[in-house]
Amino acid sequence: MFRFITRRTLGAVVTLLIIAACTFFLFFAVPADPARLACGKVCPPELLEQARHNLGLDQPLFVQFLTWVGGIFLGRDYEGLGYCSAPCLGFSFVNKAPVLDTILDRMPLTISLTLGAAVVFLFFGVATGIVAALKQGKALDKIASVSSLIGASLQIYFIGTLALYFLVYKNHILRQPGYVPFTENPLNWAAGLMLPWVVLAIIFTANYTRMTRSTMVEQLTEDYVRTARAKGMANRSVVMRFALRGTLITIVTILGVDLGTLIGGAIITEQTFGLQGIGQLSIRAVWSSDLPMLMATVLVAAGAIVVFNIIVDVLYAVIDPRVRLS
Amino acid sequence: MRVRKRSAVAVLAIGVLAVTSACAEGNSGAPAASSGSSNGASAAPSAAYKPAVITLGTAEDSKGPAIPPEGVVKGGTVTMIDRDDFSHLDPAQVYVNTEGNFFRLIGRTLTGYKRVAKGEFKLVGDLATDTGTQSDGGKTWKFTLKDGVKWQDGSPITSADVKWSMERTFAPFVTQGPTYIQQWLTDVDYKKAYAGPYDGKELDAIETPDDKTIIYKFKTPHADASYAFAMAGYGIVPKAKDTKEQYDKEPFSSGPYIIKSHVVDKTMDLERNPHWDPATDPIRGAYPDKWHLEFGFEALQVTDRLMADSGADQTAFTFYGSTPPERLQQVLGDANLANRRMNSPSPYGNYYYFNLDRVKDIKIRQAINYAWPSKQIQQVLGGPAAAALPTTILNENTTVGYESYDLFGKKTKPDGDVEKAKELLAQSSNPTPTIVYAYNQTPVQEQVTVAIKSALAKAGINVVAKPLDRKTYYDSIGKLKNEFDMYWGGWGADWPSGSTVLPIIFGPVADGAPNYSHLKDPALTAEMDKITAETDIDAANTAWMALDKKIQETITPLVVAENRIATMLHGSKVGGAEIDPQMWIVQPDTIFVKP
Repeated sequence: MFRFITRRTLGAVVTLLIIAACTFFLFFAVPADPARLACGKVCPPELLEQARHNLGLDQPLFVQFLTWVGGIFLGRDYEGLGYCSAPCLGFSFVNKAPVLDTILDRMPLTISLTLGAAVVFLFFGVATGIVAALKQGKALDKIASVSSLIGASLQIYFIGTLALYFLVYKNHILRQPGYVPFTENPLNWAAGLMLPWVVLAIIFTANYTRMTRSTMVEQLTEDYVRTARAKGMANRSVVMRFALRGTLITIVTILGVDLGTLIGGAIITEQTFGLQGIGQLSIRAVWSSDLPMLMATVLVAAGAIVVFNIIVDVLYAVIDPRVRLS
Repeated sequence: MRVRKRSAVAVLAIGVLAVTSACAEGNSGAPAASSGSSNGASAAPSAAYKPAVITLGTAEDSKGPAIPPEGVVKGGTVTMIDRDDFSHLDPAQVYVNTEGNFFRLIGRTLTGYKRVAKGEFKLVGDLATDTGTQSDGGKTWKFTLKDGVKWQDGSPITSADVKWSMERTFAPFVTQGPTYIQQWLTDVDYKKAYAGPYDGKELDAIETPDDKTIIYKFKTPHADASYAFAMAGYGIVPKAKDTKEQYDKEPFSSGPYIIKSHVVDKTMDLERNPHWDPATDPIRGAYPDKWHLEFGFEALQVTDRLMADSGADQTAFTFYGSTPPERLQQVLGDANLANRRMNSPSPYGNYYYFNLDRVKDIKIRQAINYAWPSKQIQQVLGGPAAAALPTTILNENTTVGYESYDLFGKKTKPDGDVEKAKELLAQSSNPTPTIVYAYNQTPVQEQVTVAIKSALAKAGINVVAKPLDRKTYYDSIGKLKNEFDMYWGGWGADWPSGSTVLPIIFGPVADGAPNYSHLKDPALTAEMDKITAETDIDAANTAWMALDKKIQETITPLVVAENRIATMLHGSKVGGAEIDPQMWIVQPDTIFVKP
């Protein structure tokens, strides 16, 4: 297992470097000039050149990239802004804020949003999926199927805006979404994220319901399940110990991807609810051609996907002994 | 010699602190377009709006305290909610309206605009005892600092500080603020003329004979210099606390508030500066005890929160969160919101520029002006409640001595005069021209382009539409050798005079320069230079207005575009909220919290 994790971690570092390089060079493939945004209303060539120099954009692209990578491992000295110790992700082009500090400031919100929503959509998605599988073809199954279809068809910006309007602004049932650190006040933490959790859960629950149902139906027809039933094992035990365990592989796989994606930035959710997490940060970095911030948010997003994929692979072995043996 | 006071009240709005990006469609300050027409319960704001009135104040007008708005109450905490944090807090880097507006809370300038009544303003001395005294035909300007003006640590603000503040704008790290005064003091390429004060060299063109007096010696006359000194970009920075680039994060207050905490892009909290004396300040009321600013909310969220007016949002307002299209009709039609609603037309100039390198025949340019579907575009943008239809290059809200004219019959035939256009085309070099029209590819501009294409086709003009990516729009149209015949562009006056508009948009022709029509006319340049050198500010303003009409008559380098109208809300416990016509943003000076 240690060798497996070490190998995957090294692979992850290489993957992230490749993604970083692609992002960096693609950024410059677009003919937008970040220096122009850092130049005044009247921007003569000499002032533009000065702005380009101040941002370090007057160096060859390859040198810029290597300097950026070097900053991550060795730290870097920024003219006028001081030394940025490793792991240095640079300073924002827009407001000169240290990128790493900004990422670390935004991360707790995004993690809270992701994990809280995951608890909700996992619980309801898996539970509904199990019920639908067990009541296959019956009214409960049909209700679950139709509900999941509707849920999957909804968009966060639509349902989120409606929920905000009716539950927060018009009827004052829930409070304005916001973030209070869990360590500061757990109740306010939950209250501030309740609406985004519920809205995210509505969208994601549908997927888990459908996946759980279909995999569970498949599992229930497997030989080992039939054998367990034939041996007289109680239906509850058959479902929970055998069929559900087989279903977990699928659920963990999509959960890994979903968690990675959400940690990388629940862009629409954060925009809809005015939450200042990684998602909102990334979209603003794109809008403002803020290369250092963009690179960092891409790294976070890619890193989250890579890390959760490793976790999922490890969990496969925990869930299914056959994987360990192989 | 003192600047002659205007005898008549000039109708105008003041200079606009806007950068090119701020003029772009969909920018933070600009209201978005609505998809519907306005036929709601309220009258169209463009019809109800009266341009602001501004005059030059006296030394008496320059004394504090500020004139309080009706019903003012001191104390409390006011909340401001908007989308973006301020990119810059160092005044030398401040140009955009949002940052300039915020700077009023923490910093001061030599001169500034004092609100004397709703819609009425006076240019007065802020740190200075008056708006300055000119001599040497407008080449020398002298200011005297008021007694009792202090930094946040209680130390006095001196002329050395004011001089230092101007000198540091020449430093290499400063690339974003205004450049007028630097060029007047040295040269067009002012960074080469002087590299800033950090290597110990002083700028000889600024003299400080004593702690209270500061004298600027320009190379050429500038009768409107007192307006230029009101720009936030010329705010003061103390030499003793100057940390160069880092100052952008740690500004030292000379205004009524100090930044107590700032989490970039999230929140900012201000508390009172104990050393700010209202008796020295004719501009800032500074009525709330504290300010809480929240960032990260889109215009829709801002509008919904302010419409709901619940809990803490009753004491909230927005600097620039203009009502988005999906809420505009609701906001305009709801009588309950009437006393919490503000509106103001844009002070920017918006133009559809002709590329004169390609569209060389003036008859074709004039035909397009006649055929232009102004009313249809207004409808696309949301109707008269969301857009006005100006007819002049200079904006009526930002031009002293504004005179309206309507060369192409936009007011009488806002749908376009197809017959007249055809008549002109028949006399032109090509009666059925093809025009390559480049536009910013946004949903609204897609609709606008359809309206333009359809209307010009009726006159026999074939429009080939070229959508451009919004991120690279200005880079694309800014290239001299672009392949487009027409494109939209905006410009904002920096103070209420044609001097910060016409010489810029018809200035140097170069890649990236704001002369998007590539108009290069030695006679025009000579005339603009002549007006710039005019020492009588009233005569200069009249001349700029006359030149505006002459340019459209004799060259027709552009089609004057629609003028957006912003509608904003504030909480029910916020008093004194008004959109500043010069910045197109809710200004903080009169804001107070109702009990």
